[in-house]
Amino acid sequence: MTAPLPLQGIRICDFTAVWAGQTATMYLADLGAECIKVENPFIWNPMTRAASPRMNAMMAQLMPPWIAGHPPEPGPRPWNNSPAFIQVLRNKKSFTVDSRRPEGLAIVKQLIAISDILAENLAIGTLEKLGLDDDAIRAIRPDIIILHMPAFGRTGPYVEGRGYGAHIDSVAGSTILRGYRDTAPVDNVSIFAGDYWGGMHGAVAVMAALRHRRRTGEGQVIEMAQVESSAHMFPQAALDAAWNGREHRTIGNRSIEGHVPSGVFPTAGTDRWIAIACRDDAEWQALVAFMGNPPWAADPDLATAAGRLARQDMLEERLAEWTVTRDRDELFHALQHAGVTAGPVLTAKEAAEDPHLAATGAWKRLPATEDYPEVDWLRPAYRFAKSDVDLRTPPCLFGEHNDYVYRDVLGLSDDEIAKLAAAGHIATTFDPEVIATA
Amino acid sequence: MDALDGVTILDFSSHLAGPYCTKLLADLGARVIKVERPGGDPARSLPPFLGDEPGPDRSATFQYLNTNKESVVLDLKHPRSREVVRSLVQLADLVVTASPPRVEETLGIDYPTLSSYKDLPVVAITNFGHDGPYRDYSLDDLVVYAMGAEMYSHGLASREPLKLGGTAATLQCGAMAAVAALGALTAYEVHGLAQLVDVPCFNVQVNNIDRRSSSILAYRFSGRVQDRPASHISGLAGGIYPVADGYVEIAALPGTYWRRFVEMIGDDSLKDPALDSPLAALQPGAREAVDAIVVPWMLERTRAQVWEAAREHHVMCGPLYTGLDLWNDANFRERGLWTTVQHPELGELPMLGRPYIFEQTPWRIRSAAPRLGEHTRTVLREAGLEPAAIESLAAEGVIA
Repeated sequence: MTAPLPLQGIRICDFTAVWAGQTATMYLADLGAECIKVENPFIWNPMTRAASPRMNAMMAQLMPPWIAGHPPEPGPRPWNNSPAFIQVLRNKKSFTVDSRRPEGLAIVKQLIAISDILAENLAIGTLEKLGLDDDAIRAIRPDIIILHMPAFGRTGPYVEGRGYGAHIDSVAGSTILRGYRDTAPVDNVSIFAGDYWGGMHGAVAVMAALRHRRRTGEGQVIEMAQVESSAHMFPQAALDAAWNGREHRTIGNRSIEGHVPSGVFPTAGTDRWIAIACRDDAEWQALVAFMGNPPWAADPDLATAAGRLARQDMLEERLAEWTVTRDRDELFHALQHAGVTAGPVLTAKEAAEDPHLAATGAWKRLPATEDYPEVDWLRPAYRFAKSDVDLRTPPCLFGEHNDYVYRDVLGLSDDEIAKLAAAGHIATTFDPEVIATA
Repeated sequence: MDALDGVTILDFSSHLAGPYCTKLLADLGARVIKVERPGGDPARSLPPFLGDEPGPDRSATFQYLNTNKESVVLDLKHPRSREVVRSLVQLADLVVTASPPRVEETLGIDYPTLSSYKDLPVVAITNFGHDGPYRDYSLDDLVVYAMGAEMYSHGLASREPLKLGGTAATLQCGAMAAVAALGALTAYEVHGLAQLVDVPCFNVQVNNIDRRSSSILAYRFSGRVQDRPASHISGLAGGIYPVADGYVEIAALPGTYWRRFVEMIGDDSLKDPALDSPLAALQPGAREAVDAIVVPWMLERTRAQVWEAAREHHVMCGPLYTGLDLWNDANFRERGLWTTVQHPELGELPMLGRPYIFEQTPWRIRSAAPRLGEHTRTVLREAGLEPAAIESLAAEGVIA
């Protein structure tokens, strides 16, 4: 495709880690920015390329698939095949340098000098320890856009707070709002909604700042505290507190928008579920008709959302009795054709095999590498009709683009490259000591 | 100067996802002309309401999602609406829609029609995209999370799968659309490229980095399917603990995090190096022995005390906050998590503040969410309609 990519010509010096940060730069890379990931063979950044650099088949089996569903034999470079992390590295480039040593820091500074964006979400103070505080960065590149994505902010009493997505979600109000209505929050299993959210908001902020720079030539620093952006995932709970003094707690699978019923119901087979939500009275009537007008459902009191709300427990029990003998997927299609909002709770396997996703080009097959087999990978969620906003280049393996970055981007000579290689800066694997102790 | 100053967005979306997309842009300075159906965006009827009293301007959901926007009431089902849309599009740099594909066509706000008026980028938020077998199926926050996202592994093995709180999944679709919109706007402004961008909410959730995308790839790599766990407990310590006034979430994975955690708890028996290993949790009774020390420590302390101790030791920790806790937290307030909005009828109202801090360009609320049709006449005049034409449209009920 010949149409230009939106962010063509924009370069990112990428210090991001874990999910939120690496996702923010992925969106920008998807849109055409050249995203150069700065990696260090002598530092294992937790939860950034894999759960462990020593991942093996036995260890992987002890851990949940989402974090440890590597290929059956993870091999010597598990940082190149973690399902949790490898795909946020699509469309990016990776080079290695030990930025804690002077000659390594000099390389990083050369990259900053030709970058439009520097993005990071490392523990507070990490870049400063390298001598890369905002002023130092801007001394190198005055019009740079710096994106900081701290967990709890760069100022105030929570600045020393440390957390992954789960902890940020807790403070942002997510964790207390999800769970079963009849169990305490201690039973809530982890999920990290804010990582996704934070990544998207980071990308929005950077693109807004890029526009300002196009118009004025002026760069700027952006601080996106993940907890503060994540609070925006639950505006109804936050504003009901602020306006009415009311405290929201979990309502399970019920709806805060007045959709009644709203629930997840068992269907025939083992652990197969269907979600059903009647968004309005017409959808309820369609559901009643579809069920063949059973006497319990034909009760005129249930014709309004308020009436159904008052008898929600009964409704959910009756619906579960009705769904439990039925085939989930037949019910899904039949209900949708009848005008009822419903959908199967898809397992990862079922999503991977979903006919709609296959028919609409959600996947792109990438060839095998030494580290992973040939499989289908997700393309970006959206489709640009003209720009090739797509999975264009495979996820960057550790140090895969050393030659490109040192030679083509930074313009180093063979001699200089040989020296840095001899000093261990340039690598495609982590230092053995790091692997042994991380 | 606001970052998106000078950008005009014509917004045909309603409810949650589309309005969140355009709110993100409006709060950074874009002008958003919100086209509402007669009777208004259904979000005007969504709770919670100020003082629990419904009313078209009293919905917190609506007020939150529509800051800094202008409201034009236009009946897109009326044939004469086409000429109005054609004029409005001339004002715009970007159009956002959020209607099912069949409805887009019926209302004349599909990409071929809009681009025949002006060659400009269009971001179309849909349930399932513009083609494929589910194209005309419907979704809500529950169903999009069930089908698209990692609902299947959220919850306990013995129970039904669970959604996220509130309407988080739907708002995520809006945030993703904002990324797409800024990409499309950049392509338009920098490269002169106008195009349709299709943002299917189903795909947004399938791409959810919150474990769905990784669980799918894990299946492809390993054949393993992520299930709901039997209990929330995993590892020797960590997860959600009860404390004196609520709950806190902690991570104490083997290695650095475990050692910091042990320092915080301060009990010497936890310093046994054998405990600092992924294998320690596999010993029968190991978790119970650690809990016997940790749980009483937690119960003696409030959330604030635990979090303070955690910060001192750099333990991975967060107290479980409610909306009320966020509202009452003096530190977040000081930082600017909250702001106020001046509403001409309702007065001054608290509002969630900036999700990010820009050094040079403001995030700001210039105006409260518009009253229904507040800007119909001024915007139509600006779009070049003569007063007589406007009155004729009003008389026919095309505008209000």
